[in-house]
Amino acid sequence: MTGLDVVFVLVALFTAGAAVLTVTSKNLVHAALSLAATLAGTAGVFLVLHADFLALVQLVVNVGAVAVLFLFGLMLTRAPIGREALDSQNRGLGLAVAGGLFVLLSGLIIAAFGTTSVEQVTGASIEVIGIAIFADWVLPFELLSMLLLGALIGAIMLARRETGESGEEAMATRIDVGDTPTAEGGVRAELENTTPAGQLGAGGDR
Amino acid sequence: MEALLDYAWLVVVLPLASAVAIAAFGKNLPWKGSELGIASLAISWVLSVLIAYQTFIMSPMEEPVEFSYEWAPMGSEFVFELGMLVDGLTAVMLLLVTTVSLMVHIYSREYMHGEKRFTYFFAMLSLFTFSMLMLVIANNLVQAVVGWELVGVCSYLLIGFYWEEKSNQDAANKAFLTTKFADVGLIVGVVVLSAGMFGLDTSTPFNIREINAAATAGELSTTTVVLGMLMIFLGCMAKSGQMPLHVWLPDAMAGPTPVSALIHAATMVTAGVFVLARLFPVLAQSIVVMNVIAVVGVITLFFGGLLALVQDDIKKVLAYSTVSQLGYMVAAIGVGGYTASVFHLFTHGFFKALLFLGAGSLIHAVHSNNMSDMGGMAKAMPYTFVTFIIGTLALAGFPLTAGFFSKDEILIAGEIWAGAGFATGHLVYWVGIAAAFVTTFYMARACFLIFAGENRSHHPPHESGKQMVGPLVVLAVLSIASGYIFSPVWTAEQNFETWTETEFITEETVYPFAADADEGGEAAGIPGAGGIQGDGVLAAGSEPSVLAAAEDGELTVLHGAPTWHFDLLALLLVVFFAAVGVAWKFYGKGPPDRDPTMQMGPVTTALVNKYGFDAFGYRYIVVPVRDTWARAASYSSNVLIDGAVSGVGRVTKNAAFATYRVLDQKVIDGGVNGAAFSAAWWSERLKRTQSGNVQRYAAALVAGTIVLVVAFAAAT
Amino acid sequence: MSLVGPLILATFLFCVGIYGVIARRNAVLVLISVELMLNAVNINLVAFQNLLFPDELAVSGLMFALFIIGVAAAEVGVGLAIVFNMFRNRASVNVDDVDLMRW
Repeated sequence: MTGLDVVFVLVALFTAGAAVLTVTSKNLVHAALSLAATLAGTAGVFLVLHADFLALVQLVVNVGAVAVLFLFGLMLTRAPIGREALDSQNRGLGLAVAGGLFVLLSGLIIAAFGTTSVEQVTGASIEVIGIAIFADWVLPFELLSMLLLGALIGAIMLARRETGESGEEAMATRIDVGDTPTAEGGVRAELENTTPAGQLGAGGDR
Repeated sequence: MEALLDYAWLVVVLPLASAVAIAAFGKNLPWKGSELGIASLAISWVLSVLIAYQTFIMSPMEEPVEFSYEWAPMGSEFVFELGMLVDGLTAVMLLLVTTVSLMVHIYSREYMHGEKRFTYFFAMLSLFTFSMLMLVIANNLVQAVVGWELVGVCSYLLIGFYWEEKSNQDAANKAFLTTKFADVGLIVGVVVLSAGMFGLDTSTPFNIREINAAATAGELSTTTVVLGMLMIFLGCMAKSGQMPLHVWLPDAMAGPTPVSALIHAATMVTAGVFVLARLFPVLAQSIVVMNVIAVVGVITLFFGGLLALVQDDIKKVLAYSTVSQLGYMVAAIGVGGYTASVFHLFTHGFFKALLFLGAGSLIHAVHSNNMSDMGGMAKAMPYTFVTFIIGTLALAGFPLTAGFFSKDEILIAGEIWAGAGFATGHLVYWVGIAAAFVTTFYMARACFLIFAGENRSHHPPHESGKQMVGPLVVLAVLSIASGYIFSPVWTAEQNFETWTETEFITEETVYPFAADADEGGEAAGIPGAGGIQGDGVLAAGSEPSVLAAAEDGELTVLHGAPTWHFDLLALLLVVFFAAVGVAWKFYGKGPPDRDPTMQMGPVTTALVNKYGFDAFGYRYIVVPVRDTWARAASYSSNVLIDGAVSGVGRVTKNAAFATYRVLDQKVIDGGVNGAAFSAAWWSERLKRTQSGNVQRYAAALVAGTIVLVVAFAAAT
Repeated sequence: MSLVGPLILATFLFCVGIYGVIARRNAVLVLISVELMLNAVNINLVAFQNLLFPDELAVSGLMFALFIIGVAAAEVGVGLAIVFNMFRNRASVNVDDVDLMRW
């Protein structure tokens, strides 16, 4: 057990704990923040594993953008802020399946790699990664950029409010942004004026 | 003209065609079908006359004209024939049957006038004529038996013509059953003879010529001959009214008088004698058979005649007279009088038919069968009177009538037979003379009762019309003329004897058992000439079957041309006048107050009870059969068989219904419905997997992955 | 260091992600769980990169992980757009309510 192992175990514990918190938290925002913590922990794992570039990318992209994106999503979908039950009735099934898979896979892994150890890893430098990207992996790289472009356009298309469409939209979804504030002022008034149909999962029916 | 003989079958087929035609559309014709019958019979009669003439002038025929269709249903092993055999004997019978039938047809037009079933009557007459002719012309025994049975059926139908009366139905039944009982013997006899032929190399064992040839050649065993001929004789006994199977003949008088004239006097009852004559070469091989035949014939001729003494019904008198005369014919066969028997058959047909038709004329006039209702008819019905008297004279055998010559021949045959040392000949001779007395007496009695004295009927009678009297006259002429073919008055190279000669019965044929000691070896040793070949019995020109050359003192079958036997003639004349005298004494002036025949004490009782035959038959045959066998048969048929049949039906119906209920409704429908139901049941439960819940689908996916991982891990 | 550690961690995160996918009612939380799974895969890849190419002859594992991060980001974007759509149509992001394709 080297020092690296110890560090790794610590980081791993942190990551694992944050992940569990993510999926079991009763508070939506807590869950999203736990995700952010998990992602950060993952970056730490990368560091321990000599993948420093990847760790930084992870931090920038996943923690900085994706987790924030989730928070935005929660906000925009009127995620109920407050304690409430967020789990569906499939908990038992989920536990069973996930647990079974974990046992199985870890058993297999330990059986296969239980005694393997990795020594003397030279972490890849940015130079090598850069050369690899633009030499060996340039095609996937380009495709990835295409994919991102497609996702961007797709997201815009999907989330766009149809212009000229009247009235089928639920009251709760109307967000007046900008220059037509309601009389009561702002989003919070909107929230309080919502019809009972607009209440999102309040109280929940487990 | 010889070619005409090839068309002899036309004579047979014409009445059949007319029978069918009358049955089909006779009712619509102006004469109600009788014209068809008369026309076809007339043509047949003309043909028969020509055939008779042809065979007569060709006689003795060396070889008969034979033609047949052969049919081998069982391969070439066994051949049935449908054919004709035309020789002198055939021609004699053809002539007799067609003549009498034609006379009866004409007579019946008037006699049966106004009858409800007039057309049916004529159809039956034609059918009967066809059947009898088929029997006569048959060249094989199977065809003969077919004709025999058919005449039996026609007789049954015609006796029961007035079937509204139960007594007429009973009479028809009695006739049919009695003859049917004896037909067992006939068929057994035919089978025995043909079985005897099986050992020989022939494919047509029923062929008459072949049987005769085999018999004359001595190739049939004694058992075959004796058993076969005795059985056939049993059949002949009933058909030809021999005692004790004669009981149906008097009762058959229930039918119309023309029927009695045609069937029960001239033709059907002579079928038995005819068959015996056809198979004479066979029965001539055995003295046993001939003795039996002679004895039965003698008994019949005497006791049958006695029965006529106590009858009041004119038809019954004539019926018993027929029985007696048939006895003469049969007895003649039994004592070797082949020619005599056939000759008597021939003449008797004419005068007995005449007597019956005359009786019919009388009955028609007084509307009663009984002689006690007649009397003094001579003045009222002169034609009937004269013809009836002529018939009576013929029957009684008055010289120069046909009956005289034929009866004479029988007695002479008996004499010759007796001269050869056989006792039956004496029997025939003396009993025959005694019966002649009886015959003359009862016929004289009848004539006096009918024609003499005062009229006792309800209203004065008058002569019958031309259609009835015409046949009477014709038959009267024949009753006299037919005798001269074979009489000492007119001898010729060709006479009745040559006419009825066959290839097996020639001038030289002798009896195998009658050969003298000297010729014993010879007779036995000469093989049957022209024996049985494979295909034909006798090739043309081969020698006739002769056992030994006839020598003086040999007993031949044929007796040569007739000669005057003046001693017999004197005796018969004495007998005749004695009988007539006695009858005139008692009945000359009308019926006496006390009929002497009724005063003979136990004899009368026996005669009136008909010797107890009928009572015996009823008590010991009819009643047991009726009460046991008939009941059992009826039970087995109606209860058992019908019950079985309807039981099968019921079981089937129930099985079908059960099949429907169980198999169809429960099993099959249940299966089909159950399949649908289980599909619905399962789908009701399995549909819940389609929850629409994506997470559940994901969970299922992961579970599947686990399974796959395990599978792959285990596989490695 | 041992190889098995990161692998077990990766497996654990993956299974936790599966549990989250199955057991969470909010659509966004489902997406979050998916994100967890992707990261678990990344850890796996990096661990094997260290095992297979410790001398930086090839950096396939790192490359793969990079691309996964990129794709995950794209996927989150599109996924959230879909969730918005869903929210707009029925005012609820409860995945239990999206069950029109049921029996």
